[in-house]
Amino acid sequence: MNEQPPTRADGRSEQTDRVAVQTDDIWKIFKQGAEKIQAVRGVTLTIERGEFTAMAGPSGSGKTTLLNLIGGLTRPTDGKVWVAGHEVAALPGRELARMRLRNVGFVFQAYNLLPVLTAFENAELPLLMLGIDEPERRRRVHELFERTGLTGLEDRRPGKLSGGQQQRVAIIRAVASRPALVLADEPTANLDSTTSDSLLDMMEELNQELRTTFVFATHDPQVMERARRLIRLVDGRIAADERRQPAREQ
Amino acid sequence: MAQAFLLLRLALRNLRRQARRSLLTAAAMIIGGALLIFSVSLGDGTHEDWIESGVRMGTGHIAIQAPDYRVSRKIEDRLSAESVASAQAALQSPGIGEHVVEIVPRLATGGLASSPNGARPTEIVGVDAIAEARFSILDDRLVEGRYLEPGDRLAAYIGSELAEGLEIGLGSRMVLTAQDADGEIIGQLVRVVGIFHTGIPEIDQGAIHIPIETAGAWLNANGAVTTVAVLVDRSRAVRRAVRALEARLADGIAAGDLTVLPWPQAMPALDAAVKVDDLGNYLFQGITFGIIGLAIVNTILMSVLHRHREFGVLQALGFTPGQTGGLVVLEGVVLTTLSGLLGIGLGLFLTWFFWRDGLDLSFTWQEDWTFSGVVLDPVIIPLFRTARLLQGFLFILFVGTVASLYPAYRATRVDVAEAMKFER
Repeated sequence: MNEQPPTRADGRSEQTDRVAVQTDDIWKIFKQGAEKIQAVRGVTLTIERGEFTAMAGPSGSGKTTLLNLIGGLTRPTDGKVWVAGHEVAALPGRELARMRLRNVGFVFQAYNLLPVLTAFENAELPLLMLGIDEPERRRRVHELFERTGLTGLEDRRPGKLSGGQQQRVAIIRAVASRPALVLADEPTANLDSTTSDSLLDMMEELNQELRTTFVFATHDPQVMERARRLIRLVDGRIAADERRQPAREQ
Repeated sequence: MAQAFLLLRLALRNLRRQARRSLLTAAAMIIGGALLIFSVSLGDGTHEDWIESGVRMGTGHIAIQAPDYRVSRKIEDRLSAESVASAQAALQSPGIGEHVVEIVPRLATGGLASSPNGARPTEIVGVDAIAEARFSILDDRLVEGRYLEPGDRLAAYIGSELAEGLEIGLGSRMVLTAQDADGEIIGQLVRVVGIFHTGIPEIDQGAIHIPIETAGAWLNANGAVTTVAVLVDRSRAVRRAVRALEARLADGIAAGDLTVLPWPQAMPALDAAVKVDDLGNYLFQGITFGIIGLAIVNTILMSVLHRHREFGVLQALGFTPGQTGGLVVLEGVVLTTLSGLLGIGLGLFLTWFFWRDGLDLSFTWQEDWTFSGVVLDPVIIPLFRTARLLQGFLFILFVGTVASLYPAYRATRVDVAEAMKFER
């Protein structure tokens, strides 16, 4: 279980092209006063590139913690996580930040757009951080705005956008830099079913066109229905892992 | 570089779009900066006034004397006629002459003034009436009679308390007794032509001006003087002028014939008073800015805590903790720079406003406030100095930057996963 994936001379996994995420017996234990809470208990998991995976489970089952461990937002108490061939927990802070910038896009339940930036500025932020030149930034962001029906709203600040519009901007921000992996934590939890449906359509399209790997933490049945792989978590452990034909394709 | 530019863009946008928060933080800096510049200008103006008063009452910005005269105050430690001539020539040389406003020769000695009603120890100063009237402010302090005039021979201009002590008045005769250049005790009869009052007890009780020709003849000085007193156009020119003079008069200095004393050496009590007052001002400004700094720490820290989620998002997107902290410092520096410039501008305006007529404090004034041979003026004219603007700006920038360090540190410590939690 503790074996690392075989590595190449450059330190990256040979499976990099095929495997988006790999976890090896990861644990996350939080201390709350004298009490220790085992949020994730020995999860071993491989998610291949291009998967459209949902992690489902009741509140407190460890979905968000597992997502945060994969994204390097929190470090495991034990075990290892590889993302795009990088061993996440072993990376020092600066390199971990670079790894996230280059390989991971995040979509949060609360959208988490920066309130002082316009919709366009929020969406182009990762591209700015990557040093992509302005014409290319504009081209990519405008294209995604058009595709998501947000054209005309570029100059609005988040406070002037609906929840659905904000989440679309958050998704554009997550995918504009074309990361290998998008981690979405309850992305539809605050949205009505129609808006959720159209957002999921959009993410599915991006998944299929760009082979972007999507991993959701959710308890929204709509997301679960659309996922091609459903991992059920209970008390920090994988209770079920099923690959299936999404309801729409059946 | 691109990252720094991105941080700067973000910092500017944050400041611009959080206008109320930015203005609140800036307001403290603007007011502090304005007060700093204005109070420094007032302090410099006050000190320049003290120095001006002190040097005009005393031996000028620069005093050329025999090396031991400052301590002995005896005529035997005098400047020879040759030393005086070389000093006069040096004072007119390029690099010095353009700063020199007035040069007066003085022949001074300690002695005794006697009248039929008593005797008092005095400082008897032989002066050139016309040059001295331009140099000294003693003639402005006339309360009775007149100052010395060309052609006077046995005239004396004395302090009010000396006149009172000797129970003499205008037209009264008195005898001055002192040791002459040959060491003989000799007397000189003079008549009081004017009485002054400065408010400085040691001057009012002991100073007597008599014509330098009378003093020279009486004391057998043969054209020698004890001091060549020099006024320059501004006190800050003194150090450079002294260096130039020392270079020009190097031979005489090496031979032990003369020495060049800047006013801080000639009037150490006044120099100490200026330094102590400066220190007090710096301390006051330091405390003021310490308080302003704490207010800024508080405002920025509150904003950092409020922006917990924002910093979490930035780090989730790929900002390093260092970049997140850098953003906070940059916002602090940008805000401080802008508010510092505005504050300095406001301070300059206040300085300019009071520069015209001065800040009149006479309503709080008692008559004749003096110290260390200086008569204080109740009207303070602020003094503008370019170097002070730069110092003030750098100080404000320093305070603002230091004040943003702790909030920046807190921003680097954001728990990203915690910050991203959805608040129900």
